Amino acid sequence: MADGQALRKLTIRILRYNPRVPGDVPRLQDYEIEEADGMTLFIALNDIRDRLDGSIAFDFVCRAGICGSCAMMIDGRPGLACRTLTKNLGAVITLAPLPVFELVADLSVDTGKWMRGMSERLEAWVHVKQGEIDLKRIEDRMDPDLAEEIFELDRCIECGCCVAGCGTARMRDDFVGAVGLNKIARFRLDPRDTRTDEDFYELVGDDDGVFGCMSLLACHDVCPKQLPLQTQIAFLRRKMVKQGTLG
Amino acid sequence: MDLAQSASGLALGLFMWGHMFFVSTILISKDAMWAVTKFFEGYFFFGTAYPGVVSAVVAGVLVLVMVHAFLAMRKFPANYRQYRAFTGHRALMGHEDTTLWWWQFLTGFALFFLAAVHLYQMLMHPGDIGPYGSADRVWSGRWWPIYLVMLFAVELHGGIGLYRLCVKWGWFEGKDPAASRKRLKTAKWALTVFFLVLGLATLGAYMKIGYEHRDLVGERHTPSWVVPDPKEKAP
Amino acid sequence: MKIVYTDVLVIGGGLAGLRLAIGAKRRGHDAIILSLVPAKRSHSKAAQGGMQASLGNVAKGQGDNEDIHFEDTVRGSDWGADQEVVRMFVNTAPKAVRELAAWGVPWSRVRKGDRQVVINGQKVTITERDEAHGTVAQRDFGGTKKWRTCYVADATGHAMITAVADQAIADSIPVHERKEALALIHDGGRCLGAVVRDLTTGELLAYVAKATAIATGGAGRLYRSTTNAVICEGMGHAIALETGAAALGNMEAVQFHPTAIFPAGILVTEGCRGDGGLLKDAKGHRFMPDYEPEKKELASRDVVSRRMEEHIKKGNGAKSRFGEHLWLDITLLGEKHIHTNLREVWDICHYFLGVDPVKDFIAVRPAQHYTMGGVRTTPTGESPTLKGLFAAGEAACWDMHGFNRLGGNSVAETVVAGMIVGEFIADFCDRAENAATVPVGLVQEFVQREQAKLSAIVDRRSGEDPSTLKLEMQDLMTSCVGIFRTGAELEKAVDGLQKLLARSRNVGVKSSAPGPNPELVTAYRVQKMIKLALTIAYGASVRTESRGAHFRSDFPRRNDAEWLKRTLATWKGDSDTLPTLDYEPLDVKRMELPPGWRGYGAKDYIDHPETPARAALVEGAKATAADRFALQQSLMPYEHLLPPVLRGRNERIDEPF
Ligand SMILES: Cc1cc2nc3c(=O)[nH]c(=O)nc-3n(C[C@H](O)[C@H](O)[C@H](O)COP(=O)(O)OP(=O)(O)OC[C@H]3O[C@@H](n4cnc5c(N)ncnc54)[C@H](O)[C@@H]3O)c2cc1C
Ligand code: HEM
Ligand code: HEM
Ligand code: SF4
Ligand code: F3S
Ligand code: FES
Repeated sequence: MADGQALRKLTIRILRYNPRVPGDVPRLQDYEIEEADGMTLFIALNDIRDRLDGSIAFDFVCRAGICGSCAMMIDGRPGLACRTLTKNLGAVITLAPLPVFELVADLSVDTGKWMRGMSERLEAWVHVKQGEIDLKRIEDRMDPDLAEEIFELDRCIECGCCVAGCGTARMRDDFVGAVGLNKIARFRLDPRDTRTDEDFYELVGDDDGVFGCMSLLACHDVCPKQLPLQTQIAFLRRKMVKQGTLG
Repeated sequence: MDLAQSASGLALGLFMWGHMFFVSTILISKDAMWAVTKFFEGYFFFGTAYPGVVSAVVAGVLVLVMVHAFLAMRKFPANYRQYRAFTGHRALMGHEDTTLWWWQFLTGFALFFLAAVHLYQMLMHPGDIGPYGSADRVWSGRWWPIYLVMLFAVELHGGIGLYRLCVKWGWFEGKDPAASRKRLKTAKWALTVFFLVLGLATLGAYMKIGYEHRDLVGERHTPSWVVPDPKEKAP
Repeated sequence: MKIVYTDVLVIGGGLAGLRLAIGAKRRGHDAIILSLVPAKRSHSKAAQGGMQASLGNVAKGQGDNEDIHFEDTVRGSDWGADQEVVRMFVNTAPKAVRELAAWGVPWSRVRKGDRQVVINGQKVTITERDEAHGTVAQRDFGGTKKWRTCYVADATGHAMITAVADQAIADSIPVHERKEALALIHDGGRCLGAVVRDLTTGELLAYVAKATAIATGGAGRLYRSTTNAVICEGMGHAIALETGAAALGNMEAVQFHPTAIFPAGILVTEGCRGDGGLLKDAKGHRFMPDYEPEKKELASRDVVSRRMEEHIKKGNGAKSRFGEHLWLDITLLGEKHIHTNLREVWDICHYFLGVDPVKDFIAVRPAQHYTMGGVRTTPTGESPTLKGLFAAGEAACWDMHGFNRLGGNSVAETVVAGMIVGEFIADFCDRAENAATVPVGLVQEFVQREQAKLSAIVDRRSGEDPSTLKLEMQDLMTSCVGIFRTGAELEKAVDGLQKLLARSRNVGVKSSAPGPNPELVTAYRVQKMIKLALTIAYGASVRTESRGAHFRSDFPRRNDAEWLKRTLATWKGDSDTLPTLDYEPLDVKRMELPPGWRGYGAKDYIDHPETPARAALVEGAKATAADRFALQQSLMPYEHLLPPVLRGRNERIDEPF
């Protein structure tokens, strides 16, 4: 907004609910603030907390769009609040916590617990080769293109947007979500991981895994890191069918 | 299972395209439709028509539909909570592909009944298929409202289904998946609209013929090239 | 009262804490990690540019080795570092990169053949060797003689912490998330765990452990304008300080990063300049060569930041509604390079500034970036004054950064320290005499004390407002304890902070809601933060010299004669209004690299009386030594300080075994 132009009055409508307060019920509460140049929802929410209501719970860490803490439903869609500029939204902005995840209070949800559970279930780590790695020796070589491809999928920040945006995940508690499928695709690519397709099939070759996905593609459309989820899930589905049918 | 579901969906989807073309031959002429019908009844192979052949095909399609519906049912909301979770989610998100799935689910659900009825009819009365037989059923048999609903349902369902198949298995992805997805979606809508128009016209044609033929229910079409011989009935 | 028992309690789930816990666990000791946030959301995630390790794979890194890394680091520290610790570090860093490579970090790799790079504003073609193809690549970073910084595009920290946190999950190490350590449980001589607040339920718990490690990262939020995450409030520093037994080292050494986007303070990586980006003023003039003809944009951070502020003061800043700033120009790197290697930077510019760095300049100004000071430990990572307390990472001062740390040395330090201290903490737990006897009475006393403090705040409905106190503190720190410091301003800061400290003892909140209660969190933290702020301001006001990032306009020279020593701050009594300062001299006679000119910045310094003799001795040794290993060994043996598993040379393409 150029200088001199009138600043908008914003109404930030927040879904308030603290499950630890006996008798508390979910309700929408409005806060009026004045928009500022380059205002993000991070700035707006902190302004509200500092001046209007110190009790609102929300989570920010990096405030730079890289840690994945601040995902919330912004006008009904999951997104990272810290990098959402208010000028791209209407004068009334509705904020709600991410669904699927356990609510802490107000806009704060426990994505960490869900992600840890998913990681444990999918064994989402590089299964290192047997025997000691010799740290004194030159590292194993890897093709630069392959390294880039792995990085492309490694960029997931576990923000949970894809899970909150997915109709399947909302219906079925055990669905691993695009985040989980992307992890499997990532480790599958990685030559340092000793697992085979047979192992991966064990992990995601069922209706809670890749065959549960109904290709709604909301995950792909809301992922703040623009991960190629559509392509990766399709790819994984083909590989898993191959594994499931041909062994 | 997912593979079977997709395969059955694909088969059905492609079948429906074919089906729409066959049925719409009525737009060309009654004779064309008659020929197609007879073709399916094996007339041109065997010299006589065996409506039983149609029954067999119908039975096959019925099995396919049943398999497909059974597999697809896994994806339905299993209870009210899930149903609410999805509807609420769909309404708030306003996300196109999610909404499309919702339509696919609703239309699939409707088709489950509609197609069953239609197929049952075809199974039991394969011999009734023909320019007049069909038209009479549509008009005098008061089937047209069902067909109208079914037409919309199947075209939406099939169109969305085929689009979903492509993104699901990564077909036609090309170099830039985002652009191809956009293209696929455009193609999907174009096809749906095309088949809807075609279907409506066809239905209209049947209704018109049926209306004109309302007093002669039961009469069978005689191809115009057959020398009219009141004794000899068309097969 | 709920008590959780474990062998090793690691406070902090960043790179340092995670790696340390893995080390302890693999040696058979139970470890629990506490973290304010899910481990992968820790601020280590934000490191963009990379991790230094002298692999020497790329053409411009050829010939690199531990010696050069060592010298760069010591010069960077302005001779404030503990040189033995630096040696331990530089020898372990290549091992750390290689371990991470095996754990799945998708390091950017060397591609053989020609490639175009931008050096010093010019397009240059570099040819990578065939034999290096596929090894981990390095880029240029400030203050280094060779290209040494290993990277994963510009999301290095992200990739590192993802891999390390995943390995911690693989090892079944529990991370107790949304748990905040409020106080260390100790009897004045032995640390036995911590009192912890559950940030979801609001309840207090006690964790009792044989060994407790602080790995809580930095304290950037003491400043108004900082690149640090909002959780970097120095709580680990503060709880150590509040024991009265453990000391904080060199807290006045605060680093400012040259290129934080203006005004949001979000960092754009040093890699921008490393890859060839230039700093320009309001007129579009590239000014760094005027000040630093040799290293130009790539002098160490303290120098570049000061030059930038100096240039703005001379009236060359670009003006905006929020104040003045300078420009970072990376347009000359080209679209492809920006979209692949500086993608985060593009994202940040796009989302937070609404500009496209492929075409536009980026508005930047220095902001607080790194806390060199930390919990003082020995090279084993243990506090010399509070047994059973360890520290690692940015929260520690073992002291490898001295008064200024080099870019890329910090994430390297976190992992290296995790590896080293993890072994030593395991050794500590192995020793029978260190079995923790559970002093139930002491634990109870500590929990009750913390509960009473919280209750007092909640009950004080009309007390001081916590956000106001915090803002005033941040403003004071930014305006008076910033890049340029003077005696008068520092005194003003100390004075102002003492008043704030008094007011903070009367802080109150409006909401008494159970659960997270964010207002209460701000309230109890601000009390601690003001103490830390005082430690910095007071330390800075007493240190009448300039060294590294600590720059006194009224004492612009480095003064080795009087100030070649480490500041140690303790907070003796609860009612004190100032820390107690002590000094620990650095021994020139044991230095492998005696004090001299850094190679950039002012050439003007006052020598320590022992420096010339030591310098002569070192020169003599250089002339006679058989090879670099023998020379090093003769000047300052250090290998015995490393855990046995981490000893040994590092293989390189040019230095095969
Ligand atoms: C924007 C930015 C970019 C950077 N880029 C680079 C770079 O390119 N190269 C480089 O070498 N360095 C870089 N650094 C520095 C480097 O990232 C950090 O110094 C380093 O990651 C710190 O790691 P750590 O493990 O010590 O702490 P952190 O990663 O900060 O972790 C601290 C942990 O402690 C927890 N914690 C804190 N207080 C408490 C408490 N009271 N109770 C319980 N838990 C607590 C937190 O939850 C967190 O898990 C950068 C820093 C910033 C700010
Ligand atoms: C009998 C009633 C039917 C029901 C209940 C039904 C239901 C469904 C449902 C719920 C889906 C979505 C499955 C998923 O998202 O994974 C689906 C997919 C599909 N349906 Fe149907 N359907 C029926 C009949 C038909 C018919 C007649 C056709 C042919 C036009 C058809 C074609 C498709 C196609 C192509 C798909 C996509 C397959 C896939 O995604 O794997 N369906 N069906
Ligand atoms: C082999 C199986 C099938 C045969 C032989 C068949 C045959 C016919 C015939 C002859 C008609 C014309 C009207 C009539 O005679 O009543 C018709 C119409 C129609 N059929 Fe089928 N059908 C089959 C399967 C299906 C299936 C599986 C569906 C979708 C679920 C379907 C959907 C429709 C629709 C929507 C119309 C109305 C067409 C229009 O109005 O354009 N049919 N079918
Ligand atoms: S895949 Fe994308 S949306 Fe999902 S958690 Fe990762 S970064 Fe977030
Ligand atoms: S939105 Fe959900 S259904 Fe599949 S394509 Fe994405 S995971
Ligand atoms: S706060 Fe880290 S992504 Fe928003």
